[in-house]
Amino acid sequence: MSSPLAVLEAKKQQAKKNLEEIGYFSDVKIYVGMATCEIAAGSNHVMEVFQNAVKEDKSLKGVYLSQKGCAGRCNLEPTVEIYQKGKDPVKYVKVTAENAKIIIEKHIKKGEVIKEWVGK
Amino acid sequence: MFTDRFASVFGTESFFKKQKRIALKNCGLIDPENINDYIYADGYKALGTVLTKMTPKDVVETVKASGLRGRGGAGFPTGRKWELTAQQESDEKFVVCNADEGDPGAFMDRSVVEGDPHTVIEGMAIGGYAIGSSKGVVYIRAEYPLAIKRLIKAIDDARKENFLGKNILGSNFSFDIEIRYGAGAFVCGEETALIRSIEGLRGMPKSRPPFPAAKGLFGKPTLVNNVETWANISSIIVNGVDWFSSIGIDKSKGTKVFALAGKIVNTGLAEVPMGMTLREIIYDVGGGIPNGKKFKAVQTGGPSGGCLTDKMLDTKIDYESLMQAGSIMGSGGMIVIDEDSCMVNIAKFFLQFTQDESCGKCVPCREGTKRMLEILTRITDGEGKPGDIEKLEELGNVIKKASLCGLGQSAPNPVLSTIKNFREEYEEHVYQKKCRAVVCEKLITYTINDKCIGCSACRRACPVVAITGAPKEAHTIHQELCIKCGKCFRSCKFHAIDKTSEAKEQK
Repeated sequence: MSSPLAVLEAKKQQAKKNLEEIGYFSDVKIYVGMATCEIAAGSNHVMEVFQNAVKEDKSLKGVYLSQKGCAGRCNLEPTVEIYQKGKDPVKYVKVTAENAKIIIEKHIKKGEVIKEWVGK
Repeated sequence: MFTDRFASVFGTESFFKKQKRIALKNCGLIDPENINDYIYADGYKALGTVLTKMTPKDVVETVKASGLRGRGGAGFPTGRKWELTAQQESDEKFVVCNADEGDPGAFMDRSVVEGDPHTVIEGMAIGGYAIGSSKGVVYIRAEYPLAIKRLIKAIDDARKENFLGKNILGSNFSFDIEIRYGAGAFVCGEETALIRSIEGLRGMPKSRPPFPAAKGLFGKPTLVNNVETWANISSIIVNGVDWFSSIGIDKSKGTKVFALAGKIVNTGLAEVPMGMTLREIIYDVGGGIPNGKKFKAVQTGGPSGGCLTDKMLDTKIDYESLMQAGSIMGSGGMIVIDEDSCMVNIAKFFLQFTQDESCGKCVPCREGTKRMLEILTRITDGEGKPGDIEKLEELGNVIKKASLCGLGQSAPNPVLSTIKNFREEYEEHVYQKKCRAVVCEKLITYTINDKCIGCSACRRACPVVAITGAPKEAHTIHQELCIKCGKCFRSCKFHAIDKTSEAKEQK
C-alpha cells in the first residue's frame, strides 16, 4: 500500500496535468481580485471585460485568466496582475472596466505597460 | 519571508516589505475555487506528512513546541489546547473552526476563507488527526456569502480528492467537515456561546470550567480554534518547529494578521511578525497618516481593546506587551485615529456596539454597558455632569470584574483606556462643553465670518430659519435658534462659516 505522501504526490502530478489543460502554464496570465472587498470595489465588471476579451478576441488565444483572493490592498482595489513569461509581474490598481479594455489593448497585445496605473 | 511565488509578485511593494506571510501565504495568489491550484502550491503536503510520518502525539508536540497561540484574540497556547483535548477519553470528539468574525473593522478571517479555503480545511483535518476526532464543524457567519460559497466548494472538492472523508489518502484516518451558519451575533465568537449556537440553542456563554476541551459540543471534548490559527498549522508542519519559532519573540511566536483601518494611507490586511512595533506597522507598512494630519491614537483589538497614544508607539506587537500597554491583541483590528477624531465619540461608538451585542445573561454587562452608554451620550451632547467620568470608571471596572465572558470583561476597555490616556478631553466635554476635535455636534458653534458675500445659500439651507441677512449683505446665525445640523456649513461655497467648539462659561 502506498503511503499518504505517495498518494499526494500522484495527486500533485494530476493537479499539474489538470492545470495544464486549462492553460495555467500559459505565457500570459491575468489574475483579477475577486474577494468580497474587490467585488464591492467593482472587480466583477473588470472580470467581465477580461472574460469577454479572452473568449472573443482571437489574438488573446491561450491567455490564462483566473480569479484570486485579496492580497490585502484595500485602498487600491480592484487589483489585476499580469504575468508575462520572462518579465516581472505587473500589478494594476484601482482598475475600472474602461481601464481593463485599455490594459488589454496596450499591455497584453502590444506589451506597453501603463505605468501610471501600476501600484507601488 | 514569503513563498517564492509571493515574493516574485508582491515582494517589491513597500507595503509588503516588512511583512511575513504564513496564514495569508496563498491569499491573492491562487484561485480559491480551484483545488488544483492549491495542491500544486504544495497544498495538503502537511496533511500527507502527518498521516505518513507522525503519530497524533507527534503532531500535538509539534504544535506545542512551535509556540503558536490562539489568533482569535485571547492568545491561549494552541498546542496546550490540542493536548488537553487529545487527552480526553471519549467515543466522539469535535474540531471546530471559529469563523464568526465580528469585530468592526476586522476581516482577516473572511480574507483567508475567501482567498485560500483549503488551508483551513487542511489545518482542521490535521487537528482532527491529532486529537482523535473524525468530525469538524466550521461556524461561519451568514453575512459572508462569498466565503461560504467558496468554503462549500472547497469542502466538496476536498472530499472528491479524498482529503476529507473515509480513509484519507489511503490511511486509517477519516474526517469530514460540516458548515454551520451564525446569525451575526457578536457574542457567538465566544467559544461556549458558539458551541451552544451550533447545538441549536440561544448563543449565550457558559461558565468555564468545564472547558470545551473536556465538555464542548454536545457534551463531547471539542477543539475550538480560530480561522487564522488553523491557517498557520500546515506551514508549521511543513516548515518545522524551528522555522516557526524563529519568527516573532519570546512568548509570541509567528505572525499576526492586522486589519489596518481608519486614518492610515495603506488601509489593508498586513501580516507581520510578532514583536514589530506599532510605529513600524503604522508608518512603514501602513504608510502613515494621510493629509499631513497628526497621529493621535491607535485602537487595537476592536471593541474589546484599548486606545494607545503616540507615547506607546514603540510598544511591541505581542500578546503581553499590548496587554501591559493597556490594550489587547484581539482578533487584529487596528484602527488609526488622527487629530480630527474625538476620543469620547470613539469610545461611545465602540460601547454602542458592545452594548448592542451584549447577550443579556449577566446583569453587569447588560445593564452596566447601557448606563455607561447613557452617560457617554450625555457627555457628547453637552449635558455631562461633574462626577460622570468617575462614574464611568467605576461602572467599567465592575463590569470587567463581574461579567462571565470575554464580551463583558472587555466591553469597558475602550472607555477606560480613553479616560486613562485622554482624560483632559473628557474633562473638556464635561466641564467646558468643548470638543477639541470639533466632532460632537451639540458642542459645535457655527458662526459667519467676514468672507460672507450674502449669497443666501445658507439662509435657504437652514431648516429652522436661524439665519437672517439681506441679499448681498453679511448674514448672521442666531445661536439661540440654531440646532447645529451643519447644513449651512455644507452649503457655503465661500468658507464664510466657521465651525468651532470653544470652552463655554459655566452658569
